[in-house]
Amino acid sequence: MPMVLLECDKDIPERQKHIYLKAPDEDTRDFLPIANAATIPGTLSERGCAFCGAKLVIGGVLKDTIQMIHGPLGCAYDTWHTKRYPTDNGHFNMKYVWSTDMKESHVVFGGEKRLEKSMHEAFDEMPDIKRMIVYTTCPTALIGDDIKAVAKQVMKDRPDVDVFTVECPGFSGVSQSKGHHVLNIGWINEKVDTLQKEITSDYTINFIGDFNIQGDSQLLQTYWDKLGIQVIAHFTGNGTYDDLRCMHQAQLNVVNCARSSGYIANELKKRYGIPRLDIDSWGFNYMAEGIRKICAFFGIEERGEALIAEEEAKWKPKLDWYKERLQGTKMAIWTGGPRLWHWTKSVEDDLGVQVVAMSSKFGHEEDFEKVIARGREGTYYIDDGNELEFFEIIELVKPDVIFTGPRVGELIKKLHIPYVNGHAYHNGPYMGFEGFVNLARDMYNAVYNPLRHLAAVDIRDKSQTTPIITRGAA
Amino acid sequence: MSNCGCTTEQKPAEVSVSGRDRDGIINPMYDCQPAGAQYAGIGIKDCIPLVHGGQGCTMFVRLLFAQHFKENFDVASTSLHEDSAVFGGAGRVEEGVLVLARRYPELRVIPIITTCSTEVIGDDIEGTIRIIKKALKAEFPEREIYLAPVHTPSFKGSHVTGYDECVKSVFQTIATKKTKPTGKLNVFPGWVNPGDVVLLKDYFKAMGVDATIFMDTENFDSPMLPSKAIETQGNTTVEDIADSANAIGSLALARYEGASTAKYLNESFEVPDYLVNTPYGIKNTDDMLRKISEVTGKEIPESLVRERGIALDALADLAHMFFANKKVAIFGHPDLVLGLAQFCMEIELEPCLLLIGDDQGRKYKKDPRIEELKNTAHFDMEIIHNADLWELEKRINAGLKLDLIMGHSKGRYVAIEANIPMVRVGFPTFDRAGLYRKPTIGYKGAMELAETIANTLFAHMEYTRNKEWILNTW
Amino acid sequence: MSQSHLDALYDYVQERCLWQFFSRSWDREENIEGVLNQVVRLWSGEEPLRGTPQERLFYADALPIVSDIKGRFDWASTIPAEEVKFLIEGLKSRLTETVITRSTNRELNHHLY
Repeated sequence: MPMVLLECDKDIPERQKHIYLKAPDEDTRDFLPIANAATIPGTLSERGCAFCGAKLVIGGVLKDTIQMIHGPLGCAYDTWHTKRYPTDNGHFNMKYVWSTDMKESHVVFGGEKRLEKSMHEAFDEMPDIKRMIVYTTCPTALIGDDIKAVAKQVMKDRPDVDVFTVECPGFSGVSQSKGHHVLNIGWINEKVDTLQKEITSDYTINFIGDFNIQGDSQLLQTYWDKLGIQVIAHFTGNGTYDDLRCMHQAQLNVVNCARSSGYIANELKKRYGIPRLDIDSWGFNYMAEGIRKICAFFGIEERGEALIAEEEAKWKPKLDWYKERLQGTKMAIWTGGPRLWHWTKSVEDDLGVQVVAMSSKFGHEEDFEKVIARGREGTYYIDDGNELEFFEIIELVKPDVIFTGPRVGELIKKLHIPYVNGHAYHNGPYMGFEGFVNLARDMYNAVYNPLRHLAAVDIRDKSQTTPIITRGAA
Repeated sequence: MSNCGCTTEQKPAEVSVSGRDRDGIINPMYDCQPAGAQYAGIGIKDCIPLVHGGQGCTMFVRLLFAQHFKENFDVASTSLHEDSAVFGGAGRVEEGVLVLARRYPELRVIPIITTCSTEVIGDDIEGTIRIIKKALKAEFPEREIYLAPVHTPSFKGSHVTGYDECVKSVFQTIATKKTKPTGKLNVFPGWVNPGDVVLLKDYFKAMGVDATIFMDTENFDSPMLPSKAIETQGNTTVEDIADSANAIGSLALARYEGASTAKYLNESFEVPDYLVNTPYGIKNTDDMLRKISEVTGKEIPESLVRERGIALDALADLAHMFFANKKVAIFGHPDLVLGLAQFCMEIELEPCLLLIGDDQGRKYKKDPRIEELKNTAHFDMEIIHNADLWELEKRINAGLKLDLIMGHSKGRYVAIEANIPMVRVGFPTFDRAGLYRKPTIGYKGAMELAETIANTLFAHMEYTRNKEWILNTW
Repeated sequence: MSQSHLDALYDYVQERCLWQFFSRSWDREENIEGVLNQVVRLWSGEEPLRGTPQERLFYADALPIVSDIKGRFDWASTIPAEEVKFLIEGLKSRLTETVITRSTNRELNHHLY
């Protein structure tokens, strides 16, 4: 099957290179969507910017760190109240955001003094907080403010604080993905191996690429605790700044989100010889396999089997209840990138759900290699899908439920299609055994929502009656 | 219930007005100018704003609108990248407009909204528009697509000024000549909710006044229909805007949100402009209705006398029993905060802390409503312009006793942490259901707002077991 | 070597294994070689290599493959060791072709991560 040119894309035919419909006996070497390429202006893409990839996705998750955004106030406002990553210290990370509130005069005369003063003010106002990440934004990058020099000066003036700088203005790269990269590489270059922590177990890992969405990291932490594995650093769910400085101490890097955080795992392997193990933390089958691999690495297989047995005994019956009722459900996944390949097969194996269309905002070609290898035939694989394409794809595949963001969720509601928040979840966590039951439950409650059936009724139509909607009877 | 308002010390009440004394912002109250410009743009029918900047400037603002309205709105981005930062981004504007025009055949208006980055780069938007117009003419000789240049650098003002700027620019682009008098009244309500627009329409209908509301956002609350039609867009048409030059007058209800356009219509087409206080509370609504009556010669009908009476009847049950001597902090848009403060005075609440405004402090300091509050406040009042939400939080941390906080959802954690009852009002109010549908202006809005305040206080009395028994009989 | 056996193995690995899709060609090469060599050992009852951390990881990645293959395919428990080796060599070259040689992933050979 060739790449697909949708009807709505006839005026932007280059989009054909980004949309693939998988057919039998094909593989990624023949048809791989172009990904991580610049968006066509005016297409109503779903993409964000590099700055948000660094701040909102990775850095801003940390529970003990001031996020100082050097630029106009909007970049701070916009990357606040848009995530669900709680922490075990009262959600400091979600409550606050900091901006240098850059003004026109700084565009003319430079904003370094403003930044320096704002940094001191932030530490003064919150004297218990000693860690900070400073981000450039589009205008401060354009005028060439030297934020590294300012950070150095502030650290000199305040010996008890540590500051990390991230220079990735919104216009760099083609999506948030660029920001992931800049933060990963900057961190390993500047902060890893600047602190040692106490080792309390013979088995140590970094858990990389999980951002504690609705408590994912905290749920998985209960597994590591039961296995006796010390997590040196969570990159970055429920994590701390100083833990991340100790990443070099781990024996194994366990990577969930390879897109946002594969870079630091690669560098840790290259520089410190720490092997990289990629796992899928969503799904029973995958989670069990991940635990088995980690335990095999450490030679503690029996602990792993005990944990899996315990968890499966507890959660498998619930999963199966949902599986029986979700069998054959047609699902679309329109999220960032990795969840396409994490989920396409796990929902099929664990829940009997068919994924019929997938769109990635910021995935790279590597992500499409993974998802096409795992995904079904007859399914659409879309890079950087835009609004008109979504409408057309919906018509083509008629999904029963779409896992996507809240804004697109509001859009498809009008088409009587329920959505589940594929980024921040409806009622998570979704990782691990318990988490996947949560995902199944949310999908079930969405698919069986009576309102979509009621919405289809036209009360003027005398040939119709409004049905009594029963659920669970399916 | 134990607050005492007696002034045994005989110290005259003090009303202070000052600006934030820090350079940096901790928890911004507003988004940046381009966000406000986008909000103005989506109020127009067959209009997709094109934001010239990084993708985050669009993606997050669309999310913000979706959070508040639980709806999707179309806004496009030029997807600015490094090459544009070096060589200029005019080409991306051109491509963006053409792609939009080709893929959206109904499109009639495209506000081209600049951001900090493209203002720093210095892209010539007006020149680019001239070039694009030729291209559009050649490709679509039958269509007229209005391109409005909207200069909204993020390092100036806030989303409030950006809104004002975009409304003005769109009118300057479309309302370009006086033709035949329409006998209609232009109404600029400012940044209000669909519920407020519906209320205004009801009032004009009751008075027999032919009014056009700019922007008519009634359909920002849009239905799920059997036909699956998506009706989420502004109702203000190109014809409405063009005809604004032929109106009998322009009534502006918000000094900082749309009033400059009323002034433009006066200066350019001798359409007289009238600015009244934003109609929060009884007196402000009275003044608005009297002004409408004066301008149009229409009488205020019996129905509004009754609505006013019902509101007063409801307020009288609450004011001196439950509201008197209660200390309130209010934050948000200046027109909202000052209007709510006036309303508070009517119902015996004591607005002791008002957080308003962005860097346009000089403007706000001269606001006659502040003068009025100075003259009428019988208690100490602090008004802070250029404020952030840390100004509120740090005062509470330092011992400020508040009985109520009124403001938008970005301040939710201040109230949650301090366990102070909070009424959501303004923009955005994403953490409460359906508020966009409820009017806050007019008599009805005053009544509903006061009842929400009362019920919020009542629930708090119950949760905190603070004389909840008072309500055992009421 | 049975073509159908190779197809089955190839399909299994393509669908299940993330290590074949690491970021760069040299990582993919190393993983294909490292994991699949451990697969051969485990499949044939030989002692796996577990000297270095990386070897232990290859071992951990190989374990579920062998156990899944033996669970899914009856022939997997009966074929002789020589054939296993031959089969896996075939799998290696097929994977190499798919995920390295003919992959159009434009980042595969970027010298930096």
